[in-house]
Amino acid sequence: MTGRAMSATVITPLGAQIRRDIALGWRGRGQALVMLGFFLIIITLFPLATGPDAAQLRPIAIPVIWIAAMLASLAGFTRIFADDVRCGWVDQVALSPLPLALYALAKAVVHWALTALPMLVATPLMGLMLYLEPAGMPALLLALALGTMALTLLGLIGAALTEGARGGNGLLAVLVLPLAVPVLIFGVLASTPADGGIVTPHLMLLGAVLLVLLALAPLVAAMALAEAEAETGA
Amino acid sequence: MFDYLANPTRFMRLADWLLRPLALLATGLLAAGLYYGLLASPPDYQQGETVRIMYVHVPAAWLASLGYVALGLCGLFYVVWRHPLADVALRAMAPVGAMFAFLTLVTGAFWGKPMWGAWWVWDARLTSMLILFFFYLGVIALANGFDQPERGSRPAALLALVGMINVPIVKFSVDWWNTLHQPASLIRSGGVSIDPAMLTPLLLMLAGTHCYFAVIVILRMKSILAERRIMTMQLRRAATAMPPDGGTG
Repeated sequence: MTGRAMSATVITPLGAQIRRDIALGWRGRGQALVMLGFFLIIITLFPLATGPDAAQLRPIAIPVIWIAAMLASLAGFTRIFADDVRCGWVDQVALSPLPLALYALAKAVVHWALTALPMLVATPLMGLMLYLEPAGMPALLLALALGTMALTLLGLIGAALTEGARGGNGLLAVLVLPLAVPVLIFGVLASTPADGGIVTPHLMLLGAVLLVLLALAPLVAAMALAEAEAETGA
Repeated sequence: MFDYLANPTRFMRLADWLLRPLALLATGLLAAGLYYGLLASPPDYQQGETVRIMYVHVPAAWLASLGYVALGLCGLFYVVWRHPLADVALRAMAPVGAMFAFLTLVTGAFWGKPMWGAWWVWDARLTSMLILFFFYLGVIALANGFDQPERGSRPAALLALVGMINVPIVKFSVDWWNTLHQPASLIRSGGVSIDPAMLTPLLLMLAGTHCYFAVIVILRMKSILAERRIMTMQLRRAATAMPPDGGTG
């Protein structure tokens, strides 16, 4: 395929898809704010449960932020494909030159930008409230950025697999959270670099997990969506 | 419809032929293994009588891992070739694998209390077995999570495939995270590091539980196929029982 044909058949519809999702997401930005609020509230609950002591909060600050980010980014996932399947958008994508895998990737990119990015912006503030040293913020933010991307891709798999299922949110969490263990482990380790350097082996491992998911998630999501789409079309 | 049925029918014939010898073999091996394991083998010089838990614990852990690999292969066969039996096998195996993972955790707890002084420790091998158990639960939940039962087949197969890639990464990350469990003593470079008196019951139990696994999976596959056949018959009868104008009208 020449560059020009490629741009006509794939890049243009991909851009249109991303623009559409950003427009829809921006119109429903209250939803993104709800996710941010969820993230902030989970973090607020921990000092209430453990007591306000700085000596107690500082060691759990990074794990708490990670757990909150995991739960908050999962919570927004159940509906990511639902409206598109119901209104026939997925059928149209299946007919269009845009591969379903790239459609799924576009959904993930926009979802990350609308839900995870606000969380990242709020993280330094929440970190300070949990008595984290400001010097540790860059490592935490970098790891959290990669980690939320990986979580978004896992959520994409979960959302596509559970599309049309009865279980909803709980089912999605049961599927995705066990598979998210490496993200959590490497993410927390990369957020607390021992020697003060930012690019640690753990960050590289986290990046490797992200790359595996980047290759895997859109394809799996596309295969699952093809099934969901075939069902509603029949 | 007919080439769909052709394969399961042939499978049923093969399964019926295999079932009895396998069941006999499983009973014999397990009986011998239990005899040697519980009565005719010495207690360990360090662990005492608790070492006998190992004769159930280790085979269960092997089968939990084997079941997960088999699940992934079924997923592959179903996603790539749409083989109808792969879906049946996946549905038949997932609860059995979950049961063995659960058995591994429970027997591990029974062993851990006297040996480590705690029912549970957050050790890498225990934790990855727990996560494997959750993964089995996820596959079962997804396969049965849809209003039409057959609609869950492809998502469950895809999840099993994703797990085949991701669960080793989970295992690796958890190993990185913490390790306290004794290293493997059966398969490792430098040969087996276990006394022959204990090796005999362990190998008998391993062979017996594998046969048992095969018997249970074949039985479950047969029952799933029979269930589907009943459903088809009921649908056909419902279609013919409808009044003449009810079908189109």
